Amino acid sequence: MHALGPAPYERQGGLTVLELLSHLAHWLTSPAQWSGSGGIAVRLLEHLRYSLLATFVGAVLALPLGLLIGHTRRFAFLAINLAGFGRALPTVGLVTLVFLAGGLSMWPVYVSLVALAVPVIVTNTYAGMTAVDPDVTDAARGVGMTGLQVLWQIELPLALPLVMTGLRLALIQVVSTATIAAYVSFGGLGRYIFDGLAQRDLVQVLGGAVLVAVLAVLLDLVLAAVQRSLFRHRPAAAR
Amino acid sequence: MPSTPRPRRRTVLGGLLAAAGVPALAACSSGITSLKGGGENGGGAADSGAGLVIGTANFTENQILGHLYAEALRGTGVKATVKPSLGSREIVVPALEGGDIDLLPEYQGNLLLHFDKKAEETEAGDLQNALAARLPASLEALAYAAAEDKDVFVVTRETAKKHGLKSYADLRKADGELVFGGPAEDKTRVVGVVGFRDRYDVTFKEFKALDASGPLVKGALKKGDIDLANLFSTDADILKNGWVVLSDPRHMVPAQHIVPVVRSAVADAPVRKALARLGTLLTTEELSKLNKRVDVDRKDPDDVAADWAAAHKLNRR
Amino acid sequence: MTAIDWGWFPDHLGDMASLTLEHLSIAVPAVLLGLLIALPLAVVAHRVRMLRGLILGASNVLFTIPSLAFFVLLLPVTGLTRSTAVTGLTIYTLVVLIRNTVEGLDSVPSRAREASLAMGSRPLRTLLTVELPLALPVIMAGVRVATVMAISLVSVASYIGYGGLGQLFTDGFQRSYTTPVIAGVLLTLLLALLADAVLVAVQYLCTPWARHRTNAKGA
Repeated sequence: MHALGPAPYERQGGLTVLELLSHLAHWLTSPAQWSGSGGIAVRLLEHLRYSLLATFVGAVLALPLGLLIGHTRRFAFLAINLAGFGRALPTVGLVTLVFLAGGLSMWPVYVSLVALAVPVIVTNTYAGMTAVDPDVTDAARGVGMTGLQVLWQIELPLALPLVMTGLRLALIQVVSTATIAAYVSFGGLGRYIFDGLAQRDLVQVLGGAVLVAVLAVLLDLVLAAVQRSLFRHRPAAAR
Repeated sequence: MPSTPRPRRRTVLGGLLAAAGVPALAACSSGITSLKGGGENGGGAADSGAGLVIGTANFTENQILGHLYAEALRGTGVKATVKPSLGSREIVVPALEGGDIDLLPEYQGNLLLHFDKKAEETEAGDLQNALAARLPASLEALAYAAAEDKDVFVVTRETAKKHGLKSYADLRKADGELVFGGPAEDKTRVVGVVGFRDRYDVTFKEFKALDASGPLVKGALKKGDIDLANLFSTDADILKNGWVVLSDPRHMVPAQHIVPVVRSAVADAPVRKALARLGTLLTTEELSKLNKRVDVDRKDPDDVAADWAAAHKLNRR
Repeated sequence: MTAIDWGWFPDHLGDMASLTLEHLSIAVPAVLLGLLIALPLAVVAHRVRMLRGLILGASNVLFTIPSLAFFVLLLPVTGLTRSTAVTGLTIYTLVVLIRNTVEGLDSVPSRAREASLAMGSRPLRTLLTVELPLALPVIMAGVRVATVMAISLVSVASYIGYGGLGQLFTDGFQRSYTTPVIAGVLLTLLLALLADAVLVAVQYLCTPWARHRTNAKGA
């Protein structure tokens, strides 16, 4: 589903950067590229769907964990080292493993993306919780609030900025990595990179890369703006 | 004023930079890149002392062939290393042209079509002549092997019955209805979507980019996610699953004898002789058996190749 | 299909070792090159107000681009070689290291720099002997992150045949063989753990003044 053929212009001695960029501009803007079952519109939506769902599931798993560790300060080593473990885990390996175990389905994609999102959210949630001024929590306990009340009514609201940062960072990373869906035959923007590699169509690869970057950057800007407006009038009760 | 810590800090920093620099330089040179003597996973171009670099494509049969070539070459005293699973033909052939690899196990018909999409030759002899004419000057196609591995397009028994499919021409009956699965490069290849459209006037409801006769395409065919699958004729799973290989009356798929493609600069007499000898010994049945040993019995391509070479006295002068 | 074939491990000790070395031969140069390029760029970003936003912004955008795309786009430039994997990976280590180095330089109290300049040191000497050493904990944190990340990302280069331990993933995938994949994941994790530990030791050795602090920085 690309307007230009792959190898021919490559074999004729390679493209100059300018030619590549002009081909890219053409690829990104031609209506044929956007329509159809393999078009940019469909791939973008698939990509968003994978990313949002994975981040959501990651948040469902990671938020309680981060909040709990941050509140009780127990197993803090887990929160600190989970980020490192998540960074070290090779996504390609995990995708392959889950694929071989479970067959052709979206499980390899979602397991790997959630595994990517969870450490980021846990670490930032924990950081948010530990940044809460202990005097405030002490005072809350002093007036008779239970642990759970302290968590919900005092710590969480104060930790929210960092929690949101964690969610935002996780989403951006997931968006960048959701290209792995293409490794196991599914859609998303990774399709352009993977197919472009197989067909040696650099314009397609560049197009996919640019689309992923633009999507990630846009989401980041939008979410950061939302975050800023939500917390604009916050009193600084965190350390 | 702290005067003592400063010199120590500086020397530590300086030492650190130097210590960092040395392994970096070493790693960047070819010193650290050629690993074990057997050189299965070593790197470097032909002139770094690693001998001929045999590139292989991203499916197991090609890796078996690469290791067979290595065994044959070593048998005549030529050093060789095999680089496993570099990618599709669209990636490895340019690498050969560029000199990053020296030798490639290829398939006559597809190789010709890679260089000339309009090529009409379908018979082994014609293909060999055409290759001699149309390969770039820096490359050469050596004597082709007895073994052949063709792209075949298969359907399940149910699909064949449902649409009455016996040949690729019959696909016309289900024009626009079937989902076609194969490696991503099939989308732009003559032996693929383009060929079906031009030679058989067949279009598909959808093309799914999967892999080259690997777990993705076979899994998809089993699951019913695709109707028509691009597999390799030497793949043991075709018989095992009772899949129907459709016939090719209009010769969309040319002959695909295994042919070594080499950079002319390194194609000297011992290389030619060794590979030619291998070619006469390697039949389609032998290749299919080797595939089975790797894919089904889970033996490694290099071990399987070494065993076969020893059994056929290939790696001894 | 998911049962581990324990016999695979003793038969492949040599392969595992050579693949690990190959893996390091891609990851280590990527981190070192990244550091080499990131340090001057970070100093510029730290010093020159106007370029700071540009450099940090550009590196953030680069970070969102999938690594496989870089490897593929470098093919016409560096060919199908190890350099392609190293260069592509360097872009990522570069981004992490720029961020952390700028942050580290930011964290140096301005009094320290001013004092050094006041004593007559030239700016470059001040940078090398005061600012960078004081920024070292944060920079080292960046080196640790970059190294672990590089070790993990090398496996993506398996799609162009230079994945180091990632080749085990390709092999396992093509043959529907779980054992090499498990071996690859475990070895990669182990390698990352070891590299991180080595760097922690290096950091400890290089920052004697930080040893007496009870709360050592560097997550």
